[in-house]
Amino acid sequence: MAELVGVYAASHAPLIARDWHRLPDPLKQRLSTAYAELGRRLAASRPDAIVGLAPDHWTNFFLDNLPALCIGVGEEHGGPPEPFMRDFAPNPLPGDSALGRHILETALAGGFEPALSYRLRLDHGLCLPLSRLRLTPMPRIVPILINALEPPMLSYRRCLDWGRLLRRAIDTYDAPTRIAVLATGGLSHSIGEPGMGAIDEGYDRRCIDALRRGEEGPLVELLERDTVRAGNGAHEIRNWIVAHAAAGSRGFELVDYLPVPEIYVGSAWAAWRV
Amino acid sequence: MRSMRDYWLSKLCFDLQDPARVAEYRQHRETVLARYPLKPEVKAAVLADDLAYLARLTNPYLLRYYFAAAGMPDADFIARLRAGTAGG
Repeated sequence: MAELVGVYAASHAPLIARDWHRLPDPLKQRLSTAYAELGRRLAASRPDAIVGLAPDHWTNFFLDNLPALCIGVGEEHGGPPEPFMRDFAPNPLPGDSALGRHILETALAGGFEPALSYRLRLDHGLCLPLSRLRLTPMPRIVPILINALEPPMLSYRRCLDWGRLLRRAIDTYDAPTRIAVLATGGLSHSIGEPGMGAIDEGYDRRCIDALRRGEEGPLVELLERDTVRAGNGAHEIRNWIVAHAAAGSRGFELVDYLPVPEIYVGSAWAAWRV
Repeated sequence: MRSMRDYWLSKLCFDLQDPARVAEYRQHRETVLARYPLKPEVKAAVLADDLAYLARLTNPYLLRYYFAAAGMPDADFIARLRAGTAGG
């Protein structure tokens, strides 16, 4: 049987790649240390496969066809298209068709109707953390892309349902596979809005505290009340909420938190108790 | 849903994620715009870099992609957002 070996989360920001050379050295050091520590923990859990919970930044989907959630079931996935991610490797990324298919079938049997894709392109949202975590070799990736870009989006309660569904799929996967979950996105940030560049540190710290404590009710109440004022990028916290429920909602350990106006993102790194 | 999107304006912004199209757009803006059936008032706003008007019609991420493709630095983009528009 498969085993859930760890659940992790890391923020991402395009400017970490695009403008790395312009960032102050102390900030670069702090970012590098946070990603390295999370990468050390993830590598220590020795995953064969990673379920990557990530937003799509208008890379795979457009207004023609915009799924609330899409599971990548391909044998491989295209790497990031952004010019500032041109050095990302491996490209293509290895997939895990059997695991992706099992998650999809478990979802359909359990009252969930995700979209599927045999060939996703994984943009900076997932690939920037993967590159900074420095996993060698790269585990097989099963991406689950959750719409956090264009309303309407999955409710937070439905994200918790998805997390429990994902855990059930991992627990029932009949193959000797060590599986980790990596969520990415958030915390507060605003892109293309008047608040662009502003960080809502109060929101970020309230989210972190709620995730630490684990209780789902207060967490959902907080998100429903405050996320709409924390910037449109804050909707990416949906990925963290799916991860939270997949880990059993027992709280997490914060690796680091940095409210970083230079990269426009309130950034956090965390590992859940599983 | 907070607002409806202008499909063709959004499609223009979406397509300008491609560096080759960006290069063409910067050299031949009218030629590229002719491929999109934009409403006259929307096309006029594009040609005038009317950020406040366009912000009401497309996704904020796509708006950013568009103005980056058009050559507007982030600092100018943010200043103009704060001066005159609400995101959507």
